[in-house]
Amino acid sequence: MPNSFLVVDDSKLVHRMYRLIFSRGNLAGSTVYHANDGREGYSMLAAHPELSLVLLDLNMPQINGLELLIRRQAERLHLHVPIVLVTTETTAGDELRGRAAGAWDYLRKPFQPSDVESLVARVLAASPAASA
Amino acid sequence: MRRDDGVFRELIDDYLVECLPLAERVADGFVELERRRREGASEDGLLASLQGMLHTVKGNSAMMGLAPAQELAHALEDLSALLGRDGAPESEGGGAALLVAGGGLLVEQVRAAAEGGDPGRTAEFVAQVHAFAARTSEPTVPLGRRGGERRSAPETRPEGAANVVRVDFRRLDAMLEVLGEGLIEHSAVVEAFRRVARRGGAGEEIGDLDRAIVAMEKTMKRLEAVVMETRLLPISTVFGRFPRQLRDIAHSQRKRVRLVVSGGETSLDKAVLDRLGEPLLHLLNNAVVHGIEDPDERLRAGKPEEGTLELSAASQSGRVIIHLTDDGRGLDETKILAEAESLGLDVRSADPARIRALIFLPGFSTAAQVSQLAGRGVGLDVVAGSIRGLGGTIEVESRPGRGVTFVLDLPLTLAVVRSLIVEVDRERYAVPISQVAETVRTEPEAMRQINGRGVTLWRGDLIPVSDGGALLGTGGRPAAPRRFFVVISSGGRRRGVLVDRLMGHQDVVVKGLDRTLGRPEMVSGTTILGDGRVACILDAARILEREVPA
Amino acid sequence: MSGGGFARELHLLTFALDREEYGVPVGQVREVIRVSEITRVPHAPAHVRGVTNLRGRILPVVEIRTRLGLQPAAITGRSRIVVVEVHDRVLGILVDAVLQVTKVPLESVTPPPAEVVSPGSDFIGGVARASSRLVMLLELEKALPPPDTELSP
Repeated sequence: MPNSFLVVDDSKLVHRMYRLIFSRGNLAGSTVYHANDGREGYSMLAAHPELSLVLLDLNMPQINGLELLIRRQAERLHLHVPIVLVTTETTAGDELRGRAAGAWDYLRKPFQPSDVESLVARVLAASPAASA
Repeated sequence: MRRDDGVFRELIDDYLVECLPLAERVADGFVELERRRREGASEDGLLASLQGMLHTVKGNSAMMGLAPAQELAHALEDLSALLGRDGAPESEGGGAALLVAGGGLLVEQVRAAAEGGDPGRTAEFVAQVHAFAARTSEPTVPLGRRGGERRSAPETRPEGAANVVRVDFRRLDAMLEVLGEGLIEHSAVVEAFRRVARRGGAGEEIGDLDRAIVAMEKTMKRLEAVVMETRLLPISTVFGRFPRQLRDIAHSQRKRVRLVVSGGETSLDKAVLDRLGEPLLHLLNNAVVHGIEDPDERLRAGKPEEGTLELSAASQSGRVIIHLTDDGRGLDETKILAEAESLGLDVRSADPARIRALIFLPGFSTAAQVSQLAGRGVGLDVVAGSIRGLGGTIEVESRPGRGVTFVLDLPLTLAVVRSLIVEVDRERYAVPISQVAETVRTEPEAMRQINGRGVTLWRGDLIPVSDGGALLGTGGRPAAPRRFFVVISSGGRRRGVLVDRLMGHQDVVVKGLDRTLGRPEMVSGTTILGDGRVACILDAARILEREVPA
Repeated sequence: MSGGGFARELHLLTFALDREEYGVPVGQVREVIRVSEITRVPHAPAHVRGVTNLRGRILPVVEIRTRLGLQPAAITGRSRIVVVEVHDRVLGILVDAVLQVTKVPLESVTPPPAEVVSPGSDFIGGVARASSRLVMLLELEKALPPPDTELSP
C-alpha cells in the first residue's frame, strides 16, 4: 500500500521539486498532498490521519511552521504523524524550540532527492503504524 | 544541484517564473525606499515586505544550487535588517543606494540563472556590504547569519524611532470589527431606549438616560474617528512608485514624459490604498502609451517635447478626489460616437459627458481600433470596475488636441459609511449618503409617465423614477402608494427610487459580501442594523447603470 | 490501515426535510441556531435564501430544499439553521427540524439506489440505517460547491 505524504511550503518551485522527488526511485507511487500555506497545511493534516510524514517549511508568511506545530500540539491533532521542519538555516535554540513543539526532525534546505529518501526511510523504520 | 542535472533543467523555468518577478519587485522596492528616505516619507513596512521576498529568492536559489543569487539575496537581507533598525546608521544614504545597486544585481543574477549566475559580481557586492557595515560601526547583527527569523508576528519598538510602532494591519482590522460591534450595540441601546421612552413618557430617570445615551454617542463617534485615523496612510505611499515605472514606460515608448505629483499627504484608509495602485498605474500607462504624442508630433503641435502628467489628490467632505491630467492628444469624440453607433449603441440623445463615459464600457474599449480612435487603450473597463468596487466613481474630461483629465472620487474608508436607511416592502436597505441627493415626499401628480417609464420633475430636471420593490425584486406591486422617493446620484446620473419609509441616518459598519452570495448586482455590501437585522447596502452606481424597469 | 479505530462508524447530525431524515458528519457542523430574521439579498444566486446575523457575523443561508429538488417551505417553530463549514466557508442551511446526533455503524451504509434519479440525488452519498430509520447521507461538499463555481439549478 503506497505511503502518503503532505508537503507544506509557500514556494511553487519547492512543490515542483517535491513532485519530482516523490515520483522517482523507491518513492515512486507515493501519494503526495500539497499545501501552499500554514492554514491549508493544517486542514490537510486534519483530513489525513494516515499520513506517513509531513514536510513543513518553517518560514512561511502568515502562519509559519513553528506556529502550526504549536497549534497541533495544543489541539492534539494526529500526534502520531511525524512532522519534519524544513528550513534554510537554524540555530540550536530554534531546533530546541521546534522539537519542544513536536517536530520529529529538521531537514535543511537545499536538499537533494537522496536526502528526502533517506529521511523517509528513517521515518518509516521508526514508526510501527506505517507500512513500508 | 548541477546545471547539467536533469532535475535542474526541469525546474529552472519554474524558478525563473517565481523568482524573477520577486527580484524585480525587490529592485523597485529599494528604489522606492531610497526615495522615501530622502523625502522623509513614511516607509510603512516596505522593508519588511521586501525582506520576505528576498527570503523566498534566497531559499529558492539555494534549492537550485545557485550560489551567486543565494548569497546575494542573503547579503541584501542582512543589509536590509541593518538599515531597518532604529537609529539606523547615519550614512544610511549610502546604505539605501547600496540596496538599490544590490537589487539591480539580483535581477541580473536571477536572469542569468540558467547559466549559473556570476559569482564574481556577488562576491564584489558582498564585500561592499561588509565594508558598509564596518564603516557604520554598529555593534551589529553579525552578517552571514541571523538567528530564528520568523515572518509573521507584529513588532513594537519601544526605544528610539520617535514614538512610532509597527503594527500588523490585521490588528487594526480586528479593532475595527470590535468597534463595529460597539456601534451596532449602541444603535440597539438607542432603539430600546426609544421604545421605553415612548411608553414611559417624561421623568427624571428618562432624562438621565437620554443624556447618557447622547454622551455615549459622542464618545462612540470620537472612538470611531480615532480608529479610522490609525488606518489612514498618505496617498504618497501609492504615488511613490510611479516615477520609476513611468520612466520605464516612457523609455520603452520612446517618449519623454515627466510626472508632477501633488497632494501626496492626502490620507486614505489603507484598505482603499492597497487597491488603488493598480488602477492608477493602468491610467498612467494609458496616458503615456495613447495620450502623449511622440516628441516630433508634439513639436509640430507647438507643445514642448516633453509631455507632462499631473497627478493630484485632495480630500473633500469625506471623499478623496484624484485628478490625473495629461497634455496629450485628448479624446476624439466624433470617433467615439462613430464607434458606438457601429457597436449598436444608441447615443443620439446623449450629452457629451455620456459620450466620453463610453470609453469605460467593456465591449467598447477592448475593440482593437478603439485604441487609436479614442486615444485610450484596453483596460479602462477594468479600471472603472476597480474604482467602483471601492465605492468610487471615475469620470473623464477632454480638451481635444490639448489633453485629458481623469477624475476619481473615492471614499475615505471602506469600513464605515454614513447611510440613509430606507424600508421597501418591509425589508430595509442602507444607501450611503454620498449617493443620496435628496429625499422627497411623493406627490402622485408630480409623477408622469413618458414612454411607459416613470419620470418626475426634480429641481427643474426630468429624472427617471423606479419603484423600489420592482428594482430590488421584493416581488409584487406595492399595496399602497409608496410615500417617499430617494434621489440617488452617481457619476452625474440620477434616479428617483420609491420607498415606503425613511428610517433616518446611521453610521453602518460595512461587512463584505460573502462570496457565496455571488456578485449581486446592486448590492455593495451588508451591514447589521441596530435591531440586529441584516440590511443590504445598495450600490447607486450599479443601479444607475441599469435600464429603468417598467 | 494506520490510525484504525477511526472510521468504523459515522458520527452524524440528522435533520428533517419533508419527513425524510438526512445526516451530515458532525465534524462539518459548527452549531445549530434558531431562525431569526433572514434578510433577502436582491438578485442573489438560486438556493440562497438570504443572510442572517450570527453574533455580528453575516451568515449566508442556503435553501437546501431547493438544492435537493424540493419546494421551499414555510418556517415553523421547529425550523433551524444548521451552521456548517464546507470548503473553508461558513454557511447556514435551513432545515425543517433538527432531529439528533447519532453514531451509525459504517457497515450499515448502502449506496443510494441506482434507479432513483432525482434532482439532488447526486448529493446523497449513501443511505444509513439507524435503528429502524433510514438516514440519507448528504454530501455537503457536492451540494454546496465552492463559491467560484455556479450553482446550477
